[in-house]
Amino acid sequence: MQAPASSQHIYAGSPDPPASVNLLCAAIREVVSRRRLIQYLVAAVTRKAGTNTLLGHVWWILDPLLQMPLYVLLVGVILRSGTADYPLFVFAAVLPWKWFTSSVADATTSVSTRDQLIKQVPFPKLVLPVAAITSGIPQFAFGLIPLLGLMLLFYRDRISLFLLLIPLVAAVQLLLTLAAGILLAAFNVFARDTGRLTGHVLRLWFFLSPGLYSTDRIDHVTARYPAVGHFFRLNPFTTLFEAYRDLIYRARLPDPAALAWLLIASACLLAITLIMFKRLEPRFAKVL
Amino acid sequence: MASRPTTPPVSAALHDGRSGPAASEGPPTPGAPIHDGLVAAAPRERLAIEVERLGVQYSLRLTRKATIRQRFVSLLRRRTGPRRFWALRELSLSVRPGEVLAVLGPNGAGKTTLLQTLAGIIQPTEGTVKVRGSVTGLLGPGGFDPELSGRENIDLCGAFLGVGATELRDRTDAIIEFADIGDFIDAPVRTYSQGMRARLGFSIASIVEPDVLLLDEIVSTGDEEYRARSKARLRQMVRAARAIVVVTHDMQWLTEFCSRAVLIEHGMLVADGAPADLVTLYRERVTAAETSRASPGHPGRLHNA
Repeated sequence: MQAPASSQHIYAGSPDPPASVNLLCAAIREVVSRRRLIQYLVAAVTRKAGTNTLLGHVWWILDPLLQMPLYVLLVGVILRSGTADYPLFVFAAVLPWKWFTSSVADATTSVSTRDQLIKQVPFPKLVLPVAAITSGIPQFAFGLIPLLGLMLLFYRDRISLFLLLIPLVAAVQLLLTLAAGILLAAFNVFARDTGRLTGHVLRLWFFLSPGLYSTDRIDHVTARYPAVGHFFRLNPFTTLFEAYRDLIYRARLPDPAALAWLLIASACLLAITLIMFKRLEPRFAKVL
Repeated sequence: MASRPTTPPVSAALHDGRSGPAASEGPPTPGAPIHDGLVAAAPRERLAIEVERLGVQYSLRLTRKATIRQRFVSLLRRRTGPRRFWALRELSLSVRPGEVLAVLGPNGAGKTTLLQTLAGIIQPTEGTVKVRGSVTGLLGPGGFDPELSGRENIDLCGAFLGVGATELRDRTDAIIEFADIGDFIDAPVRTYSQGMRARLGFSIASIVEPDVLLLDEIVSTGDEEYRARSKARLRQMVRAARAIVVVTHDMQWLTEFCSRAVLIEHGMLVADGAPADLVTLYRERVTAAETSRASPGHPGRLHNA
């Protein structure tokens, strides 16, 4: 393709699959060398989101703003178990969670919806989920606008310089999102209802993470069942929600050790999913 | 099934291939020559495409569009049906620069699989495929993003094909001019007619100027005037010593335009020769297959591997 005319493509049926390390290097090389394609794909998604709907990109701001009152009404007003400044408390979790779920959902279908193109043009399929997840980043960034607005209007005393650390926590989350999204994109090629299943798993995951409640609310459960406590500590969104909440709601530094562990775990998980994706990739064109 | 014609056309060299389990005609010929004369005839370094004993295997369990439940059920039942089949087997073939090779064969013979393997989209299960220079397949109507405009799709396709940004910008005008779809170029592709999509696809693939162009079934779209232009464009590409491989059922187009043809049946190369002769042979075999279809011993193309 970009190769000069003198180049030669050789495809041979090889009996032994390539080593995992080579696959991982190939995956990283593909994403780096095809960054322009990723850029185009991201631009295409952004443009489509902007032109095809009535309010366009305004939805990026409205979505989290409209979801937050729902939880405030349910937990804060009806169940009467909200904490102080509950709208901000919920918003700090809803915003990153919406980013995670929509990115994962977009990534899951990213490969299978391009089935025609995959059968016509050879290109590294990895760019598709990577582009889908990258397109979610501006969405999250726009979501910070209503957050700031909310704080400026109602919670001025909670504004601190710690807010500037949000991108750091978001970067850790991005790694986790990439790992999950790339894996699910590959699975969805072979079982088209992967997206549906993940939708339900994600909903359950949200309620099992301290998004609508603080971690001390489940102390009485963890005291009786220590296994639940372990699950909670292993749940990456416990760490993430707590970190976001520390920066936004409590105006303090999040636990650096927990974040560092999550960073390492996400990077390892991403490496594993990249290798799995590369292993499954040759079969995509045959299955789609 | 059809019995092999006893007197093949003079110029069409019949390939035995290896009589695998899927081979339904002729007695097995042990020790049949694997290489045809063509590979030896042309100096190796000058060949545009060199395919040696290519085999592509599909796993049927994966290919059936499945949901998680279906996968689970089939896992429990341990079905005994055919698990794998060879879309192509023991296929050897070579194309010289400047040749326009037509690939003939009934539906499901493996023609598209062959093109996909040449393009590097599907990896061979066995054997080797060597393609010298850059390869581009024709972008079919389904390859475009329906929500984006034609212009945006050119950018996106260029990026997928790996064409450099500046190179693409230089050629965009030529692509648009050749596609000849007027103001529609700035409208979303979902508003295009089939013909317009096909023209845009051909225009992108040909303007990219690959060394090897692969065309699958969509050559004869558009009005007379456009057809004439696309033929002229193809001639131009052939003159520039570029090889073209075409899969088509348009026999008239084929005899007029191709310099050579091969016939593929059940994933194996059956014949190789002049287009006119191959068309005659193909038609004979189709009618023969139709008459024998009534007979009970019709062998299926699937088999346990």
